[in-house]
Amino acid sequence: MSPTALVVADPRSPVGIRTTLEALGAARALLDRSGGGKVALALLGHGLGDVPEAAKRWGADQVLVLDDPRLAIFRSETYAWGAEGLVKRLAPPVVVLLPGSTMGRELVGRLSARLGGGGTSEALELELEETRGLRVRRPLFGGKASETLSLPFPAVASLRPNAFAPSEASAAAPVEAVELPKAGPAGPGAELLERSPVPVSDTPPLTQAPVVVSGGRGLRGPENWPLLEDLARALGAGLGASRAVVDAGWRPAAEQVGQTGASVSPQLYVAVGISGAIQHLVGMSSSRCIVAINTDPSAPIFKVADYGVVGDALVLLPPLTEAIRRARAGAGP
Amino acid sequence: MEAVVCIKPVPEADSRLRVAASGVTYDPEGVRYTLNSTYDEAALEEALRLKEAGAFEKVRVVSVGPPRAEEGLRYALAMGGDEGLLVETRPDDLLDPGFTAAVLAEAVRSLPHDLVLVGRRAGDDEAGVVGSALGEHLGIPSFAFVTGLTVSGGGSPLKVRRFTEAGEELLSVPPPVVISLLKGAQDPRTPTLPNILKARRKPLLREPWTEVLSRHPGAPVRAPAMRFELPPPRTGAHLVDYQSPAEAAEKLVKLLREEAKVL
Ligand SMILES: Cc1cc2nc3c(=O)[nH]c(=O)nc-3n(C[C@H](O)[C@H](O)[C@H](O)COP(=O)(O)OP(=O)(O)OC[C@H]3O[C@@H](n4cnc5c(N)ncnc54)[C@H](O)[C@@H]3O)c2cc1C
Repeated sequence: MSPTALVVADPRSPVGIRTTLEALGAARALLDRSGGGKVALALLGHGLGDVPEAAKRWGADQVLVLDDPRLAIFRSETYAWGAEGLVKRLAPPVVVLLPGSTMGRELVGRLSARLGGGGTSEALELELEETRGLRVRRPLFGGKASETLSLPFPAVASLRPNAFAPSEASAAAPVEAVELPKAGPAGPGAELLERSPVPVSDTPPLTQAPVVVSGGRGLRGPENWPLLEDLARALGAGLGASRAVVDAGWRPAAEQVGQTGASVSPQLYVAVGISGAIQHLVGMSSSRCIVAINTDPSAPIFKVADYGVVGDALVLLPPLTEAIRRARAGAGP
Repeated sequence: MEAVVCIKPVPEADSRLRVAASGVTYDPEGVRYTLNSTYDEAALEEALRLKEAGAFEKVRVVSVGPPRAEEGLRYALAMGGDEGLLVETRPDDLLDPGFTAAVLAEAVRSLPHDLVLVGRRAGDDEAGVVGSALGEHLGIPSFAFVTGLTVSGGGSPLKVRRFTEAGEELLSVPPPVVISLLKGAQDPRTPTLPNILKARRKPLLREPWTEVLSRHPGAPVRAPAMRFELPPPRTGAHLVDYQSPAEAAEKLVKLLREEAKVL
């Protein structure tokens, strides 16, 4: 009895697509480890245009398209209803994997409640348990601990961004358009009044960025941020900050990492001039690799960091940015 | 209109965690709890400001948790909540978030709820699944990652501003609705002494969770924890030694490329 995996795509943004590819990669790896099985990709929306054409090469065995005016804006209600219809068409047992975008993280609660199986968010590791369900390891307390849950089928899990390798481009999978029943979810819907464009920025959003570069009070003042921004650009990184510099008004609140800010878990986290207070650590300690730059060798940040450079950030940043640029250009050390 | 805010005490960020004897959760011994998660307090503050602006007649607070959660509810009443409901669990009842949502739904269903507010996620399990699961159980819409909320009262639609990676959206949503706030109001108020005293006389109802759940249609599934783990202690950073800043940079880049393989 091989299980079927259903990935619900989020094609609305580059982050959505990247996390969708991660979910497809995770689904394939999960099934391959337990003797194979089919990976289906669900595309929900309205006026999807050429998205299905592109998505058939994202690595699924089958692409199911639900193009319906009732799915024009993302609402967990209508999307859970649409996804439920697809789950019922697939050979059980079914595992639903959702991208780590806002869509996936919002849908998981509603969809698992609707399907009557188990559901959880922020999955770091997945394992099938023969007939019973899906085992999921996920972080707790900002990565200070983790738990492993056993989700009964049909199991639904949204994935932690950057925790799984994205799927690779594949041969074209068959695309099937699926009709939704006329009778929809009860209750009036929502009306979209306006959509403001994504603020133009050459750095990715913090919580999903594969690399994050954060600055603290050790940078001395907002006038030194261009040094950090140069490093972030060289790394393709999102910009973060400690609360001390947000409180001082040097940086916007949206950049704050920590207990009262964003939780991030990138592949690489670079903490510059940040002491490493516990309230900061809970927001970033589950990052895969942590680098700290600090003048004080006894700063607590060095206890959680993998690599450290003791020294003045203002002096160290320019050559570091330069070295990274060269390494990325392929001419590096 | 009337609002319900769901709140939960969570361990303090600097709590030292140890694996419990059962191996499936942490040892509560020595863990200090916050009165309420900071996200929940921000959600309550948001609801209170809306009430003061005339959007709601009443703001009720609900918590599913052990007896000590009563302290958090009293604090919420001292901040300005009108009534509290504690759906009481015992310390060894491990309720996963999906299951909690089913219990919570029955508690909320027993109260007028034009708006149900929840925080972004809990500070312990960080799951963020309760909001939309609650919406499903109650059969009403839900919206998460909400960054702004306008409620004019009288049953008219709410204006909901939410974050998406494709840009911010402004939606018009008729009540009742569950809203999960990305960030609530900043600087939640600290209760004054007179309000703390007044809160002691505000109604606070307690009900065992099993009783509340018995009103739930069907048996919600449980997703039991099998294991609770602490990461191996980090061994401390590999400090790069160097003569010049340029050398530090070259050495660090080499380590990141060849050893950590993150470049
Ligand atoms: C309830 C609560 C919630 C909180 N939430 C958060 C949160 O979400 N996020 C958060 O970050 N904090 C949070 N804090 C604050 C936290 O406790 C720390 O105060 C804060 O993280 C410190 O910021 P910092 O590291 O930038 O500053 P500091 O602690 O002042 O550290 C500055 C560091 O820079 C180093 N330094 C100085 N000069 C240089 C130089 N030239 N080059 C390199 N290094 C240099 C110093 O050695 C020092 O280690 C919270 C606190 C509380 C009480």
